[in-house]
Amino acid sequence: MWGLNLPIVLALAAIGGVLAWRRAHTLVWLLYTGGALWAFFRFGFAVPIPQSVVTIYLGITVLALVSYASSSRERLAETVQPIQRLILEPRYRLALAGLLVALPGLAAYNAYADLTMPLEAPGFGREIHPPPPTELTVHDETIDMATAENPYLHYKHDDPELYGKHVENGRRVYYENCFWCHGDGMGGDGMFAHGLNPVPSNFNDVGTLPALQSSFVHWRIAKGGPGMPAGGTPWDSAMPAWEKFLTTEEMWDVNLFIYDFNGYEPRALGQH
Amino acid sequence: MTPQSGKPVSRNKILFGIGVLAFVSVIVTVRLGGFLVDNEYRQPDQLSAPLQTEATAGIVDALEVEEGEDAATAARRIEQALEFADDQGIPEATPRLRGIADEQATDEAEARARPYEEAEYRAVPFVGSRVTVWVLAQLHLLFAAFVLAVPLFAFIIEFVGYVKKEERYNKLAYEFTKLLSVSFSMTATFGAFLTFGLIILYPKFTNYLMHIFSPTFLPYVLLFFLEALFLYSYYYGWGKFGPKMHLFLGFMLNIVGTAIMFIANAWLTFMMSPGKRDDVDGDGVPDFVSAVSESGALLSLRDAFFNFTWMPINIHRIIANVAFGGSIAAAYAAFRYLQAKTDEEKAHFDWMGYVGNFVAIIAFLPLPFAGYYLAAEIYAFSQTLGIQMMGGTFSWLFVIQAALIGNLFLGANYYLWLGMGRMEGGVHFQKFIKWLLIAIALCFAVWATPRYAISSVSEIAAMGGSSHPQLSYLGQMSAKNTAVNILILSTYMSFLLYRRTGRQSVHPHRDLLTRAQAIVFSSAAALVIFYGVYGYFVDSATRIRFAIPQVYSVLAALVVITVIDLPLYRNAAQSGETKWGRMPAVSQYALIFIALSFTWLMGLMGYVRSGLRQEWHVYGVILDTSPDAYTPTLGFATQVVSVTVLIFFGLLGVVFWLSSLGGKKDWEPKPVADGRDQLEGGQAA
Amino acid sequence: MKLSVPMPLRLVLLVLGTTAFYMYLGQIVPQKEAHPPPPVLISAEMTTEDLVAVGAELASGKGQCLVGCHTVGQSGPLRYPDLDGIGARAATRIEGLSGLEYLAQSLYEPAAFIVPGFADGMQPIDQPPISLSEDEMKAVIAWLQSLGGTPTVTLDTDLGY
Repeated sequence: MWGLNLPIVLALAAIGGVLAWRRAHTLVWLLYTGGALWAFFRFGFAVPIPQSVVTIYLGITVLALVSYASSSRERLAETVQPIQRLILEPRYRLALAGLLVALPGLAAYNAYADLTMPLEAPGFGREIHPPPPTELTVHDETIDMATAENPYLHYKHDDPELYGKHVENGRRVYYENCFWCHGDGMGGDGMFAHGLNPVPSNFNDVGTLPALQSSFVHWRIAKGGPGMPAGGTPWDSAMPAWEKFLTTEEMWDVNLFIYDFNGYEPRALGQH
Repeated sequence: MTPQSGKPVSRNKILFGIGVLAFVSVIVTVRLGGFLVDNEYRQPDQLSAPLQTEATAGIVDALEVEEGEDAATAARRIEQALEFADDQGIPEATPRLRGIADEQATDEAEARARPYEEAEYRAVPFVGSRVTVWVLAQLHLLFAAFVLAVPLFAFIIEFVGYVKKEERYNKLAYEFTKLLSVSFSMTATFGAFLTFGLIILYPKFTNYLMHIFSPTFLPYVLLFFLEALFLYSYYYGWGKFGPKMHLFLGFMLNIVGTAIMFIANAWLTFMMSPGKRDDVDGDGVPDFVSAVSESGALLSLRDAFFNFTWMPINIHRIIANVAFGGSIAAAYAAFRYLQAKTDEEKAHFDWMGYVGNFVAIIAFLPLPFAGYYLAAEIYAFSQTLGIQMMGGTFSWLFVIQAALIGNLFLGANYYLWLGMGRMEGGVHFQKFIKWLLIAIALCFAVWATPRYAISSVSEIAAMGGSSHPQLSYLGQMSAKNTAVNILILSTYMSFLLYRRTGRQSVHPHRDLLTRAQAIVFSSAAALVIFYGVYGYFVDSATRIRFAIPQVYSVLAALVVITVIDLPLYRNAAQSGETKWGRMPAVSQYALIFIALSFTWLMGLMGYVRSGLRQEWHVYGVILDTSPDAYTPTLGFATQVVSVTVLIFFGLLGVVFWLSSLGGKKDWEPKPVADGRDQLEGGQAA
Repeated sequence: MKLSVPMPLRLVLLVLGTTAFYMYLGQIVPQKEAHPPPPVLISAEMTTEDLVAVGAELASGKGQCLVGCHTVGQSGPLRYPDLDGIGARAATRIEGLSGLEYLAQSLYEPAAFIVPGFADGMQPIDQPPISLSEDEMKAVIAWLQSLGGTPTVTLDTDLGY
């Protein structure tokens, strides 16, 4: 709901509820608020927030908590009192010792976590489905991208037997050429997929095939990574330009097959 | 042994320190001058690299072993030749010295033959000319802003004291004015420094500005003279004139100061927008009319002076100066409070700090609106400049600005909340602080949310693009406008709560009026949020216009609530006494933090206003062709701003110290009898 | 014994710390140095395809089309119209104007036609401060045509301005 990670949010709210019910001490509240906000920013969203933004938010949180605790003499005294007791009273000596070990430990862990974080290149915004050209020429045959359809799609209703033949041919082409990267089940998880960036398309995804016209898919199959327009840069897709290896018919067949296999229909003309 | 008797010793130490410092700085200046002269202007006298090689070759030739001569004979021959020359007292005869004399003669002849050329740019070693002029201009501006702002509120405070017939206001105004005379000298010093910097480093462009603005320089100098006259008569004439006469002097000081700033603003706004707005084609939309021709020749001084962004900058600067001046004056009070020994002193400087901060906050509240007005005018003048500022090269600068403004609001509120501790029995409003803080932190977070976050490949893959599905809503203008308006309302609310702490209204309709205030406040907040949310459901042309009702509803709410509040708390019953001086030290550090943040913010905004032109000296007319024409990285710009702020605060420390000398005891000769005690006293001090 | 930091030292630490913090903020944001746009050379023998490449360079450089104003292939609340598919759309914008004529008009006289839902804001880019030359304008038009259409403009085309 609203892109939130509900179990986490509810759990945090529940802890807050318990604290309110038990009338927790100011210091406990401050620690809870800081911790809960950290957990919320870090895990509370279905799509994680970028680390840089989390840092900004946590900085503001810390600033706000410190200024709350110190914004009146009484509140400051109340907040600091348990800490003073922890340090001064003999019966908390064990807890104090534990804390004195834990704090540097925490810092050490933080340093360790920072250093062992896998190195990552900074990201560039890139279009996943860049705009296609208006016309496409494959094997000396020019089609209008806006109106072209898979020439064998209409057999699905007119001649199911012939349609089946084309799908079968598409299956052969797919498992001879495509499944290495796009996977047995077309999940974009073939045996070579982990070595590729950008990763191969996942054809099971409802956002991919059904959202594209079959002419778009044909364009991508025929022209591959080398035919990617400049608008999609930096783009280093490893997909070959299949027009150099396959006939036009084979390409339309595999196009038919991947739709048929996943049970999707290409996006209709003019449909948005 | 009392600490006072140790004072003269400590002062002697300080004087000694200053002496050493002066000595060192004279040496440094001389060395630096020598260095610059060596490197820059005496270049022709030094051997250039190819000549040096030639000379060495010549010497080697002369001393070379001749053909068919064995080494021992050659060595003897050369030695004899040198000895002979030495005996004859003709050292010029040695090949080396002859070679050097030749080189010098050639260089001199070359230097004489070289024609005089107008330099377009000159360079400064290490830092470069741009950074030099940048730092000088910023320092000049910071001191100037302070010198212009202090008389503004000193005059108002003196006036309030005159109307209320309360001596303490008069004293406070005088205390503020004490800071002026040293700052005035600093302003003039840096002004001269900046002028020389421009003439030396950017001679051609400075000459161009002279071409455009030469008629404005004489009035400027005359006004500066008048400013000095009024400033010193206002300061030294304190208590020497009748109150009306003195107020008149203060008034004239402000008029002259403002006029000076307006003239200087014309020069710099011309560089950004060289022309006026006028509806030429009669379509109801103002068009841009250039004040100069395409090649830069002046068409109309009037249009160049009263140019597009001149008035917006004037307004923005007056308000910002007052806020800045107030915060610096508050920092001075905080400095004195921390030094104070007696309760009386503490009470006085606590109050002074409070007034300074009050001035700063009052001026700070409308500042974002003045900023929007300026930004809107920049957009209206040139869409390219506007987009460059908010969406292009400088968009990340505004994320830093958000952090600064968030800190300023938080700091100002924090100081007010701590101030509630001055009242006895003032715990009543403490429970609201939590909610105000939450509102402020939320707005701060919204404002600091970047539109396109810095993210790694895997984060982009997870988000499916460069913006987060939920957070991207917070990165947009609608959300940010809403956040700043709510920030302003919350800060005002903090101030109202502070005002009410420990006081009880005796107005007959107090419940009704308080409720009316609450309704006005919450409806303004609701309206602001409504427009903020509604902005997402309309197209961009409509959305831009939503900022205006938001601003007006907040301004109206501030005015209405103030108008209700004044009678409501007139002669209010005090539940306890206000104990000036009962403030924790951290509050005073907060005041200094506010002053610092404000100075840094001014430095940053100064950079964006000037850097916005990018590779232009005069936008669209005169191109900067120097090696410094590029726009530096934000990281570099913030380093320059930080160094400037540190220099400014170093100098400010001197100003504060000099200003506090007046309140110290006079120097007395040491009592001769008790030398040993003196020494100990000196150490104790 | 009471441990305490003397006041002047505290002040110095506060000043240095705060300044350092703000400077640090400046270091963690993306760092970009903007140099004045290098001159883009257009020679007489350039083909339409070459012009598209030059135009694309101009769009994100000297021409400033993509520097904060226009986008290519984005949706949602936008500042100014997205240029994706403009090459195909251009011909249908104003009746009587071909795609080429419409594009030329929208660069030389941006105020002549405002896409519904957007505010007027663009400046004629043949004038200062952007000051594209006529050849550069042709390159930009070629690039625009290439977004969803087939570029036709050459250096010999008469734009009518």
